[in-house]
Amino acid sequence: MVSRPLDEASLVVRAKHGDAAAYEELVRMHQAIAFRVALVAAGDRGDAEEAVQDGFVKAYRALGRFREGAPFRPWLLRIVANEARNRRRSSGRRAGLALRAAAAASGDAAPSPEAAALSRERRDALLTALGSLEERDRAVLVHRFLLDLGEEETATALGVRRGTVKSRTARALERLRGVLGEEQA
Amino acid sequence: MSRVETDLQALALLVEWPDTPDVAPDVAARIAVPPPRRRAPRRLGLALAVVLLAVAVAMVVPPARSAILDWLGIGSARIERVDELPAVQLTAPVELLGQPTTLEDARTRAGFPVAPPPRGEAAPDEVRVVDGRRVSYLWLDGDRIRLLVTQVPGLLQRGAILGKLIPPSVRMERFYIDGDGAVFLSGGPHAVYLLGPSGSFEEDHGWLAGNTLLVDRGGATLRIEGELDRERAVELARKME
Repeated sequence: MVSRPLDEASLVVRAKHGDAAAYEELVRMHQAIAFRVALVAAGDRGDAEEAVQDGFVKAYRALGRFREGAPFRPWLLRIVANEARNRRRSSGRRAGLALRAAAAASGDAAPSPEAAALSRERRDALLTALGSLEERDRAVLVHRFLLDLGEEETATALGVRRGTVKSRTARALERLRGVLGEEQA
Repeated sequence: MSRVETDLQALALLVEWPDTPDVAPDVAARIAVPPPRRRAPRRLGLALAVVLLAVAVAMVVPPARSAILDWLGIGSARIERVDELPAVQLTAPVELLGQPTTLEDARTRAGFPVAPPPRGEAAPDEVRVVDGRRVSYLWLDGDRIRLLVTQVPGLLQRGAILGKLIPPSVRMERFYIDGDGAVFLSGGPHAVYLLGPSGSFEEDHGWLAGNTLLVDRGGATLRIEGELDRERAVELARKME
């Protein structure tokens, strides 16, 4: 018989009652997105790794305050993002975007038509333009597009309201177009 | 969707993120060890003891008791109307707002999203922080607090519950500021308490407050208090985006 993996809500309930194995499962479930959010916020791989680890520990100790039934990931991402930002601030480092685009889509599958259509020049131009934006503009675009987070999760991770994410995304896209020398569509 | 949005979506498939480190074993090892108990500063402990004693006295008064019991287990900002304020001696030991520090330090130590002081206004005379619980901006006239802006963790973290006792003489207006729920309290004194998630009084900074604007911002509750009308309080809140 194959046992069904527990869903997130069940794992959270078990972790709240002190089940460390359930929490470890939650860590594995979310550590990839947590690490990427931390990397964007901290701008440094080492700090991001520490922030993720500390964030998970803090979240575990704060589980008593977590409202059951609420989505766990946004709550966790905010704790991790705060940890990462704190590290960057204390290091005095400016947030940067140290990302590279692959020559082709990763994996064995054929690249999507959209990815295939994006020329190497265009990829580099987009990343360079993103990197030249102010931190808050860059952060909202990276969260919404590169991390594929919804408005609500982006708002939580960045510590702003959902309406702010909407307006900031629109402004950031406008500025990105400006850097790329494009007119609004 | 514009071209740049389509291209950003395509770019997401091509970004080479660094490999994710597996932090699960280290996290498991760390949570297996109980966290060290932090001792509250002696002065804070003494102040809390006084508050708890005062609350215990208030619990003897039936209306106050029912109001206090009603708070328990109810999230975020909670407002109760009472016939009269309970027999709690309200004081405003400013130390309960934490120690003075810099804005940067306060925001770092807050542990929740903290809005900066209102744009285009005079900078606060003091910034105070209670780690992980509260950030306060104070504008002073000598020893008197003229304007107090406090932020505490709000709905998402449920780390603290702001409770108020409102006598009939106090006017309460409920409205929205750019989509955020808000309450403006004016016309008289009201008691202010901060309750912990378990229903116990973790902290208290009760005093006879001036007019007060409460804004629920999802991640944090913003409280603006002082000798100011609703319009001015809303203006300040809007300047704290």
